[in-house]
Amino acid sequence: MSVDNDIVIQTHDLKKHYVMGSETVRALRGVDVSIERNEYIAIMGPSGSGKSTLMNLIGCLDTPTSGEYVLNGQPVQDLDDDDLARIRNREIGFVFQTFNLLPRASALHNVELPLIYAGVSSRERIERAKGALEQVDLADRMHHKPNELSGGQRQRVAIARALVNQPSIILADEPTGNLDSVTSEEIMTVFDALHDDGQTIIMVTHEPHITAHAERVITLRDGMIESHDAPRTVRAETV
Amino acid sequence: MRILEGIRIALQQIWAHKLKSVFTLIGVIIGITFLIAVITIVEGMNRYVQDDFAGAIFGINTFSVVRRNQVQTGSESQEHRRRQARNPYLTMRDVEVVRRAVPDAWRFSYSVDRGFSQVSYNERSRKNIRVIGGSDGYEAMQGWEVAEGRGMSPLDERKSLKVAVIGADIAERLFPNGSPIGKRIRLGSTRLEVVGVWERQGGLLGVIRDASVLVPISTFRETMAWQRNRIEEITVKARSIEEMQASMLEAEAALRRDRKLRPGEDNNFWLQTSSDLLGAWEKINKILFVALPGLVSISLVVGGIVIMNIMLLSVAGRIREIGIRKALGARRQDILFQFLAESSTLSLAGAAIGIGLGIGLGKTVDALTPLPASVPMWSIVVSLVLGLVVGVGSGIYPAYRAAKQDPIVALRYE
Repeated sequence: MSVDNDIVIQTHDLKKHYVMGSETVRALRGVDVSIERNEYIAIMGPSGSGKSTLMNLIGCLDTPTSGEYVLNGQPVQDLDDDDLARIRNREIGFVFQTFNLLPRASALHNVELPLIYAGVSSRERIERAKGALEQVDLADRMHHKPNELSGGQRQRVAIARALVNQPSIILADEPTGNLDSVTSEEIMTVFDALHDDGQTIIMVTHEPHITAHAERVITLRDGMIESHDAPRTVRAETV
Repeated sequence: MRILEGIRIALQQIWAHKLKSVFTLIGVIIGITFLIAVITIVEGMNRYVQDDFAGAIFGINTFSVVRRNQVQTGSESQEHRRRQARNPYLTMRDVEVVRRAVPDAWRFSYSVDRGFSQVSYNERSRKNIRVIGGSDGYEAMQGWEVAEGRGMSPLDERKSLKVAVIGADIAERLFPNGSPIGKRIRLGSTRLEVVGVWERQGGLLGVIRDASVLVPISTFRETMAWQRNRIEEITVKARSIEEMQASMLEAEAALRRDRKLRPGEDNNFWLQTSSDLLGAWEKINKILFVALPGLVSISLVVGGIVIMNIMLLSVAGRIREIGIRKALGARRQDILFQFLAESSTLSLAGAAIGIGLGIGLGKTVDALTPLPASVPMWSIVVSLVLGLVVGVGSGIYPAYRAAKQDPIVALRYE
């Protein structure tokens, strides 16, 4: 394994098999990915290509059937549930298509959540959560509940929540899938700004114009990597 | 901190669904209300019996010689009861025997009484009164003070004067407007001059003093008693409990000697102290305290099952939330604690409501009856501990179900 400090994610021959009744589904059939710090990666692929599975593995929500995965210098393929929870808390900031905010909690409390599980004191939590909301321009809405916010604002709260614990990577799963095109662009601008600040971003998407924001596109097909490309080529191919 | 989060969520849930919460908590509320109310009332009774009741009837450091045991606690054998029924009546001879046996007694008196009598003055009358023929010192023994007129005097007894001191209820009934002093009341065929009225005792036991008529024992025996020689009760009051116990032994020995009882033979009289009465009460008390945990635990178990069901529903409705929390770094134990804190908060809220209602019930009893209802601190502590136990107990299974959710599945849950 590489000990290169600039490598954030390194996988080797990553496989994931699911047993569905009598059948074994090979969702990932040996994936090698290497992602450097401050890279902006898009993962593409048709449904069933294994991109959700890869995202779950990278996001430490699941463990591989075989293969190796080193996240920020730490092998994580064999960790148990609680260790994975700790890794998710410290290393990964999730942004979901459906926002996944707690409906009854204020924006501020939603952003505080990862810090609660990190064991940060209440005063520091509020300070840092406010800071993260300022970063996405929502400081004035911090006491609003999700149902009092627009779709774009909700996703910005989710991004603030992903940022608040200063993770190694931001892992976004179709972050603009539930948004109109104007709001989508607005959200993509937020991601661009984060990237400019040095954040590593991995985005799962099937929308070509979204991939245009990325520096590199990984395309999956049938559980294997089909191509590593610069975004423009992908765009040219699919359009 | 994570526990705080659980408590916060629980309070939010309770507040958002107030009516549902009340129904959820009804088992716990009823159980704890009942617990507090019963303990409060029993403790009140306890204090009442010890401080007022025993004191009012016997006074402290007091013992009585009577013919037979009158306080039935249920533990005496048939045989004992039959033997007691054959005891001879007390007589003036026994009075003198006891008097000589306890020369240092603080107070000494003897009496005869008759219940369910009727007293009248002109057209007015009062039924169900007690007529007491008391020796000199009877009022002092009972601690009865006159509010008007005077009490019995040694002269009244010596001359068998037809005088009476009456209770406040009787005075009020027969003489609604005016003083009873100097008036002649009728007891059966006897006319008696009222010389005094006692202070009102009031309360549950007020009937003992407030509806009594006291006449000198000599007068009673000459005019009213149909068994002239009988004495019902000889009462001795000592200055301390130790003295009382010593005097009681002296009196017992003297009576046995006088009645020529052989060693090993049972007393053919009965020595009665306030502890006889207290013993009877303690027995009732014990039964209550044995039955109470059973009744309370039934309602708490039912309450716990209801809370468990609500918690299972709550977990099922918040799978997505669990997924989100896990994705953000919540470990199994964090989720477990969250739901345990929630069920405990629910249950403790129920316990708190129950404590409030229980205290309210106790206060109502306090206000409406002469029982002094006091909520002991320990019953509140016990209630809160029980609330916590029910909360944790009913939350374990739902919390475990929540904690073992797979974050990937939970996140996609609709």
